[in-house]
Order: sequence, then structure tokens, then C-alpha cells
Amino acid sequence: MTTSARSPQVEKVDASLRLPVLIFFGSAALWLVVGTFLAAVALTKLVWPQFLDGPAFLTYGRIAPAAVNALVYGWASSAGLGIALWLLARLGRAPLNYAVLPVVAGLVWNFGVFLGLLAIIGGYSRSIFLLEFPGFVSAILFVAYLFIAVWGIVLFRNRAAGAVFVSAWYLVAALLWFPGLYFTANALLVWHPVPGPAQAPIGAWFSSGIVNLWLAPIALAAAFYLIPQILGRRLLSYNLSLLGFWSFALFAAWTGMAQLIGGPIPAWMVSVGVVSSILLFIPVLVISINLLGTMQGSYGALRWSPSLLFTVTGAGVFLLAYVQGTLLALPGVAAIFHFTDVLIGHGALLLFGFVSMVFFGAIYYIVPRLTGRDWNGDGLIRWHFWLFVGALGVAYVSLTFGGMVQGFALNDPGVRFASSVGFATPFRLVAVLSALALLLASNIFAHLFFRTMLAVLEETKPLPEAVTV
Amino acid sequence: MNRTPLLIFGAFLTFGSAWLGLVAYSYVTLGQLQPVADENTGGVNPPPLSGLAVAGQKVYAANGCVYCHSQDIRPRYLSADIAREPEAEPPVRRTVARDYFRDQPAFVGFLRIGPDLANYGLEKRVAAWNDLHRHLYDSREVVSGSIMPSYRYLYKMRKISGQPSNEAVTGLTGPHAPAPGFEVVPTEDAKVLAAYLLSLKRNDPLPEAPVETKE
Ligand code: HEC
Repeated sequence: MTTSARSPQVEKVDASLRLPVLIFFGSAALWLVVGTFLAAVALTKLVWPQFLDGPAFLTYGRIAPAAVNALVYGWASSAGLGIALWLLARLGRAPLNYAVLPVVAGLVWNFGVFLGLLAIIGGYSRSIFLLEFPGFVSAILFVAYLFIAVWGIVLFRNRAAGAVFVSAWYLVAALLWFPGLYFTANALLVWHPVPGPAQAPIGAWFSSGIVNLWLAPIALAAAFYLIPQILGRRLLSYNLSLLGFWSFALFAAWTGMAQLIGGPIPAWMVSVGVVSSILLFIPVLVISINLLGTMQGSYGALRWSPSLLFTVTGAGVFLLAYVQGTLLALPGVAAIFHFTDVLIGHGALLLFGFVSMVFFGAIYYIVPRLTGRDWNGDGLIRWHFWLFVGALGVAYVSLTFGGMVQGFALNDPGVRFASSVGFATPFRLVAVLSALALLLASNIFAHLFFRTMLAVLEETKPLPEAVTV
Repeated sequence: MNRTPLLIFGAFLTFGSAWLGLVAYSYVTLGQLQPVADENTGGVNPPPLSGLAVAGQKVYAANGCVYCHSQDIRPRYLSADIAREPEAEPPVRRTVARDYFRDQPAFVGFLRIGPDLANYGLEKRVAAWNDLHRHLYDSREVVSGSIMPSYRYLYKMRKISGQPSNEAVTGLTGPHAPAPGFEVVPTEDAKVLAAYLLSLKRNDPLPEAPVETKE
């Protein structure tokens, strides 16, 4: 799409955002490579335990959480913050004032992630999922976050008059929800831990909230903006947007309990988790109809817009991943597949297939608008896409099948535990190979990003008028 | 019409309801659970942990055992968790919130790349001390093909001077076994970790968790 003759106001908005947003994207790209690399190492250890075995800092129980934290706080959250700032500014036609504060806060955030990963690798983690960073690190992240999010809210407050677009609802909500999640969970599980019996439900509430109330809303906001924008048409339905947003907000916060079925929490909590997971199907369907319905008849556009290709694929995976989430919450299903590789596959689908995919689409769209430079190397973007989709698809399918076999084995008292490992191993091996391909795809993305940055830095001539994606 | 207050209010309301229902509720109910008196032993259940076992939890956390091992026994109607331990005496039962009273943090876990450890300490105490260290030191020498990492870094290999230490791990085999004249002794971390593992026992009678009999 060509957005020629950009208005001076848009120019001003983009200029004010250039540095902070590019810092978020750049650091996100680095963490993506680091996280995917660590994930590949961890997976390899499951099929070849002698690999890098021995030193404490390379042990599975440190590498695996380091990988997840690098991906969630380093990659997805940084990229999401950059996308959120840009979208809010663009939607409200409001420039970012005092950009130096979010820039500094962004750097502090990244420094926090770095410290946190070192702490995990060094053995200072308390092994609470997604809360592995030591208390002082999560405090740093929390303060840095506030400085970034406040700027997002200010952008929203300073918006030009007019109706508030659906993307802004998701963004404002996510910016408010994350501190609620992160502060509560750190206060109750890290800074001043509550007694053990209360920890499992709080932990499950938090880890599902990080996806449902933080990363997913940002990705949905981006998809709601990008798909109609790139196609140059209106969103299918305003009313569906309204229904989708509020029903998602209502149900998504409760779903985490379903995974604790049979576990140490009151039965009604599990029931609430199961019921809300089933009800969540309504917003998921509504949102998907709205997003994919907007695409109706325009699938040809996927050929010329890589941004659209990534975003629409991500939107499709959103439907798939959340339908699977609903299925996995059903008691009979959860009983068999909880504790298996099915969960790893599902997590990868959410984080890579949905969130990351949409974020890639958004970054491919936003960066040329910030730098005034096209991504030279369209071929590489396609490589990134197909390699990423292919690798993730293979990893997902093999982990899911392997996990199913593993689950049936674990739930048959006549089958020795070791057999459940043996059954899962060939599937895990396939997942290792796909993880390597995923690592290559992430490297292509980072390479494209930094090559463009270098070109921008070398360039002295003024911004061209036309931007293409 | 300015819908911003509505948006902010709605976002608070949806978030706040789940926060109250799941987080605050857990805190004020599960968080207040106390051990219950056991008439048979005169003690309380779950029983207090030794200082070593408490320290062992930190080593368990620092090395990420929970990413492979759950400590969560689900009821018989849902899973084979109980049926997998047919010989346990007293029989194992589903785990409930109060079972995690001594845990900091509660290692419930969400993956079973390795077996569940909720009742690892059952009937294995004392005698298993050396076996457990052999397992942690080099799992593949104890269970062939095991994918469990080796925790050699929790042990010290040293030259025997005078009498061999009575703490030394005996019967080690494989590439990392000590050469003649050397011995492998557990560090403080390995000792407390082993103490913690051997303390794992979540089948004390609790009012809310009766032992389920085979149907
Ligand atoms: C990569 C996953 C993984 C990690 C991390 C891991 N284990 Fe294991 N563990 C296994 C597997 C697989 C088995 C079963 C094979 C075997 O016994 O070696 C096992 C078995 C065990 C057993 C024997 C269980 C039984 O019923 O006989 C104990 C005890 C144990 N692990 C303790 C630990 C401790 C303590 C840690 C952390 C320091 C740890 N494990 C970390 C995978 C893991």
C-alpha cells in the first residue's frame, strides 16, 4: 500500500515516536533471537541430555525458564509496548512529547530483563512460572513499565477528537491490566509470598493473564488496525467489535483455573475456569469473524503485503489457539493432556503463532513509516514468513501428537513412566529440528531489522514521500 | 459522546471481578489454612519440615526441578496418579491445598517430563540416601536412558586424604565416577536437596482429603 502525501501531522507524530519505538523493536528482535536460541537448547536437552550437560548455568531447569522469560518479557512485551505506543499515537494523531522518558524507561526495561535472565541462569530464581525474575528485578520492570504505559495513556488522552477506534480500547485495557497483573502477582508470590496453599491459583491466574490480558489484547489491537488499514476498507462491523471486546474482557481473566483440574484448589474455581474457557469461545468467534470477515474477498492482497500476510495468519492462529484452549479446558481432555507436551505446543502456538505473528506484521508495517525507508529485501521477508510458519507448524503438530501419546501413557497405570518419555522422544526430536528452523527465521527477522537500521543511520538524504509495505 | 470513562470503568470492573474472585478469595481462604491435629501421632498434618528440607526447597527452585516434575496427585476418577502408586502405605490420596502449607513456593508444577514427586519420600527414607545422590549425580548411570540432567555441580570430587569421608557417595559408575584415590561428596546444596526430596510425602490424613479406595 502506498501512503503517499502523508499529512504534516502524521509526519510529526511519526517523528516523535521514531526513537522510542525503534528501541523497543530493536531490543525485542534481539531478545527474540536469544529466547529462540535458549528454547532450542532446552528442547535439545530433552532428546539428548548429554548436550551441554554439567555446568550449573546450562542445566535444563535454568535454560528453559530463561528462554520463556526472554520471549515473554524481552521479545513480546517490548515489541508490544512499541506497537502500543505507535498505534495510540497514530490513532489519536497525537505526537509523543518528552520522548526521552519512554526511551530511558525502555532501556531500563531491557536492562531489567537482562538482569533477570542472568539471575535465572545464576540460580536465583524461585521457579514460579513467568515470575522467575528476583524481586528487585521485577520491581525495576514494574517501575520502567509505569513510565512507558503512562505515556501510552497520555497519548490516548491527547488524541484528536473523534470516535475511539476498537484498537484503542484493547490497548488502553491492556496497558491498565498489565500493572494490575504484574504488581499483584509479584506482591503475593515474590515480594511477600503468601502461604503455599494460596499460591497455585494465584500463579495460574497470573500466567494465563499474561497471555489473555496483556499480549493478546495488544496483538488484537494491531490486527484490528492493520487489516482494514492495509486493505483500505472499513472493519466488518462496529457492533461485533463492541461485543467481542467486552465479552473477551469479561471471560478471559477467569480461564486460568481450568488447567488446575483435580489440583489443589476448590472445585468451584476449576468449574469457573472451565465455564469461562467455554464461554470465551464466543468472543473468540466474534473477533475472528470480524477480523477475517474484513478480509473477505481480498485474500489476493496477501500477495503484495507481507504485513497483511503475517497479521492475517496471526489472526487465523488466534482462532485455532483459543479453540484449542477451550478444548483443553474440558475436564476429560484436561485430565489426560495436562502435564504433557500438548501444553508446550499450545504455548508455542499462542506465543509464536498468534502474538508474534501479528507483531511481525505490525513491525513490518510500522518501521517503514518511522524511518521512511522500505524494507529492501522483500524476498527475505517471505523467507521469514514461510520458514517461521512451516517450522512452527511442524513443531506444534509433533509436540501435540507426542504429548497426546505421552498423556495416554501417563494415564495408564500399567505403562511405566519411562515409556511416556520414550514415546515422546521422536516427536521432541522433530520439535528440536523445527526449533532450529524457527531460530533461523528469527535471525532473518533480526537481520532485516538491523540492516534497515544501519541503512537509515548511513542515509543523510531527507525522507522520501512514499512508503510502501 | 465520550466513552473513555466507560472504557476505563469496564476494564477495571472485568479485571477487578476476577481479581476478587480468584486472587483475593484464594488469599483469604486458602491463605488462612492451618495444619490440623493428628490424633494418631499427636502431631499436626502436614508435619513441620526439618530445617534441611526447608533449605532444600531453595535448591529445588534454583535448579528448576519444577519444570520437569509436578507435585500434584489428582483424584482417581480423573487420572491414574493414584493408581500409579499401588504399594504406597498408607495409600496415596489426591493432594489438596493444605498439603502445600509448608511449601515456599508451592511446587505444584505443570509438566511431567519427569515423574511426579509428591510422594517421593514415602517409604524411601534413610536407606535411599546414597541411591538418591547417585541418581542426582549422574542419572543415566542409575536409570539407563534417563533424560534427567545430571547435577554433578552439586557435588565435590576430591582426593581422599586419610580415611574416606563417611559422607562420600558410594557405588558411582560411569564416566564421572571418581578415580581411585578420589571421592565424591555432596555439597551443602546437595545434602539439603536430598533431605527435601526424602521429606516429600503428601498422604497424611486430612479432613478434606480422605483416602480413596479402589472402585
Ligand atoms: C529435564 C527434565 C528434568 C529435570 C529438570 C529434573 N528431572 Fe528429575 N527426572 C526426570 C526424569 C525424566 C526422570 C525419570 C528417569 C530417572 O529416574 O532418571 C526423573 C527422575 C527423578 C527422580 C526419581 C523419581 C522416582 O520416582 O524414582 C528424582 C528424585 C528426581 N528426578 C529429582 C529431581 C530433582 C531434585 C531435580 C532438580 C534438581 C530434577 N529431578 C530435575 C527429569 C528431570
